[in-house]
Amino acid sequence: MVADLIESVVKILFIFSVNIGFFSPILGWVERKQSALMQDRVGANRADICGFTLIGLFHPIADAIKVLTKEDFVPTGADRLFHTLAPFISLTPAIIAFAVIPFGGQYELFGHRVNLIIADLDVGILFIFAFASLASFGAVLGGWASNNNWSFLGGLRASAQMLSYEVVMGLNIIGVIMVYGTLRLSEIGAMQVNFFNWGIFLQPVGFVLFFTCAIAENKRAPFDVAEAESELVAGYFTEYSGMKFVMFWMGEFLEIVTIAGLVTTMFFGAWHLPFVSDRMLVDFFGFAGPNGASILAILVNVATFFAKVIFFIWLQMTIRWTLPRFRYDQVMRLGWKMFLPIALINIFITGLVLLAK
Amino acid sequence: MGISIEKLKPKRVRKNIELTLWERLYIFEIIRGMHITSMHFFINLIGFVLPPKGKKRRIMTVYYPEEKLTLPIAYRGRPVLVARENGSEKCVACGLCEKICPASAISIVAEERENGERYPSSYTLDMSRCVYCGYCEEVCPKEAIVMSAEYEGLAKRNRNNLRFSKEKLLRSEKSVKDRIEYIRGIYAKCNY
Amino acid sequence: MSDTTKDLHSEYMVINMGPSHPVTHGTVKFLLTLEGETIIDMKVDIGYLHRGFEKMCENGTWEQVMPYTDRLNYVSPLINNVGYALAVEKLIGIDVPERCKYIRVIASELARISDHYTNIAASGLELGAFTAFLYFVEARELLWDLIEMLCGARVTANYIRIGGLKNDLPDGFKAKTKEVFKTCRELWADVDKLLTKNRIFIDRVRNVGIMPPEDAIAWGFTGPCLRACGIPYDVRKFHPYLVYDQMDFEIPVGEKGDNFDRYLVRMEEINQSMRIVEQALDQIPSGPINVNMPEYRWQSKDDIGNRIESLIFHFKTVTEGIKPPAGEIYSAVEGANGELGFYLVSDGSGKPYKCRVRPPCFPLTAAMPKMVKGGFIADIVPTFDMINMIGGECDR
Repeated sequence: MVADLIESVVKILFIFSVNIGFFSPILGWVERKQSALMQDRVGANRADICGFTLIGLFHPIADAIKVLTKEDFVPTGADRLFHTLAPFISLTPAIIAFAVIPFGGQYELFGHRVNLIIADLDVGILFIFAFASLASFGAVLGGWASNNNWSFLGGLRASAQMLSYEVVMGLNIIGVIMVYGTLRLSEIGAMQVNFFNWGIFLQPVGFVLFFTCAIAENKRAPFDVAEAESELVAGYFTEYSGMKFVMFWMGEFLEIVTIAGLVTTMFFGAWHLPFVSDRMLVDFFGFAGPNGASILAILVNVATFFAKVIFFIWLQMTIRWTLPRFRYDQVMRLGWKMFLPIALINIFITGLVLLAK
Repeated sequence: MGISIEKLKPKRVRKNIELTLWERLYIFEIIRGMHITSMHFFINLIGFVLPPKGKKRRIMTVYYPEEKLTLPIAYRGRPVLVARENGSEKCVACGLCEKICPASAISIVAEERENGERYPSSYTLDMSRCVYCGYCEEVCPKEAIVMSAEYEGLAKRNRNNLRFSKEKLLRSEKSVKDRIEYIRGIYAKCNY
Repeated sequence: MSDTTKDLHSEYMVINMGPSHPVTHGTVKFLLTLEGETIIDMKVDIGYLHRGFEKMCENGTWEQVMPYTDRLNYVSPLINNVGYALAVEKLIGIDVPERCKYIRVIASELARISDHYTNIAASGLELGAFTAFLYFVEARELLWDLIEMLCGARVTANYIRIGGLKNDLPDGFKAKTKEVFKTCRELWADVDKLLTKNRIFIDRVRNVGIMPPEDAIAWGFTGPCLRACGIPYDVRKFHPYLVYDQMDFEIPVGEKGDNFDRYLVRMEEINQSMRIVEQALDQIPSGPINVNMPEYRWQSKDDIGNRIESLIFHFKTVTEGIKPPAGEIYSAVEGANGELGFYLVSDGSGKPYKCRVRPPCFPLTAAMPKMVKGGFIADIVPTFDMINMIGGECDR
């Protein structure tokens, strides 16, 4: 009982600190530096503490100080309650969705079975989809509550886009669920012990479609029609400044991490190194005793998981800085007329193949 | 219009009106585009991480103010008055630069010395009006005003501080030697 | 369904895409009447950058106008200089030496390349392709290094004089041009691979902002926008000036007149201009670069110091201005946007009586409502970008 409690608290603290403490500020730095390297320039590296610039890692701290000291206002004529509420609604699902993503397998530690996932729900994936749909309220409310025509247009676009892409995302996942036979993410991860059981080999089309739909759901380029800087100034968060603006941004960045985590879990072997199973790792580290072996195995697996997550974050950043953005009706056409039929065909073919086996 | 097609040489740039199949599938061109930017990314990353010999790194940024650009000799910076060895200006207050300046930035008050030489008792160049066109240097018959290579120190907090007087504009002839040689090369024998 | 929509009280949304907006980078105001996202009506308001160029010209002498022309089309200033100098020389009736003509051709083409770079980069930026923008800005920086080596300033060049040039080509110019063009061609290939066949980009610009050829001529289009409609009109071929009739280059021509054609025409024109510069550098003869007429062109400092008549003419032309004979002419060059025309009226004194500029992007901006009506707001972005409306030129 107590051991379970300690385990949960440690896991929650770990994920919180990794997500909000590490990934959020670092992603801002990564975005600046990665785009700078792709564009043959240096990037931001002037913020220093006592003369140490440390390649620009102090810029997130400078951003935080700037944001906290900005004036926090609600525009005249705007709906006060919804204007203040919208960023919270946008941020919370992004933080919560990481609760069901496994970042390691099951290990024996001090006589207790440790499962490296905060909440091993039996409806795993659906939990994430439920909360992603809640996030769309944030964009809509932010757009409407700002009393600004441009924000209003941005909110309209955001609402339609997020709703459509949720439908398509759900249909894409059905193929994965059919192949693995379960909704639990920890079981899907555990089943990918065999290298040729990785989701990318069993469901390649599903991977491409899911990745694209997830980027569209997150409203990142090339699907950032809702906040298109050149048409709508800043779309649905034109009238936000200070901490509320940062909450929208943080929600977006955390969703990038969530998408990377999901893609890793479902398609790229979760926490497994190729051709290496948990059992082999614990045996390999046998020289440190049973607890030490478990701890070392945990470290290796968690590091592998986060390395894969970092790769997918890099991939999403590269996509953002390379491609131009869609027009709004082309985004809709892509979702409903191209992705939906392909997803249905994917389900059909997966069903046929499973029947044939 | 009376011009033959062979002389006109039009060239059709639009190869196909409808999209080809390769273009219709988004994914191939997207991967090609991402390949290009990733190449830039990795080349620059290696150039950052390994000690750069200046070859592999393609970063265009000049790290001002620690690193400054080397300007060509033709660069038109701030106008300066040239001083002789004894510290007095070469300018004879003929007023040509005042007349030619398109922005009316120069004001001269002329006076005569005892030996008959003219000199400007007050020479004001309003730096907030100067457009750095180089006309004053071009028309001066005495090589008394040249465009130096200075571009710093021109941001002040008070507009009156930008009206540079004669003292602030004087520079020794040795310090602008290169520029005087350059303008002798281009204006002395005007090549006609 | 239609009964219920008749009962619903609906009104069009009137929205102001004002002078300070990321897309209207020449400071233009669009008043849009929208139904949802479809544009029902559009009004264009210009004049936010009007600085009184034509009135200022009447206050200065003929030579003092030259720095003002730099600031007309501020992304290709050398072409404006060349246009004005050619117009005044036509008014006076003089002809410049051969070497001067070749160098003027080189200067014009370098300015044209940098204008096309800026335009395509800005379009990429506003459509979301940030990396393409920075690659072309890098190429433009290299070109500006060349121009700085030539005349001393990157943008406000003030290089051409009436009756000649300010100075000759510097040493090492040809070698540096070859080096710069090599890098520029690599960057051009990069941006070509990023944008030209990318379906996302093509969908944004294809069949958007269509202008049929007869309407284009009726509105007064010239330049790349007219060539994109399929009409191969280029001032350099139809009314050759300087030494363009001895250069071997092709005119890119489009098919449909939409934004994709304008983009392709501009990309191809960059290549053709690079060809022209390389040919000019190969063929350039040696010789004088200024006309030997002290009443129109300032003499050398040697002559001013030693010959009394040079000194007298120097003082007279600087204080009173050169004096072309009374009359009026119109002379046009091919600017980066189209036909850049100068209509000069002289009354025999040292100051211009009237100096009117025909801006190439004025009819293009006027035709904006016709091109985007019925489209979406998102269509204004590539259309307005591809027109290349430069505020300094349109509003003068």
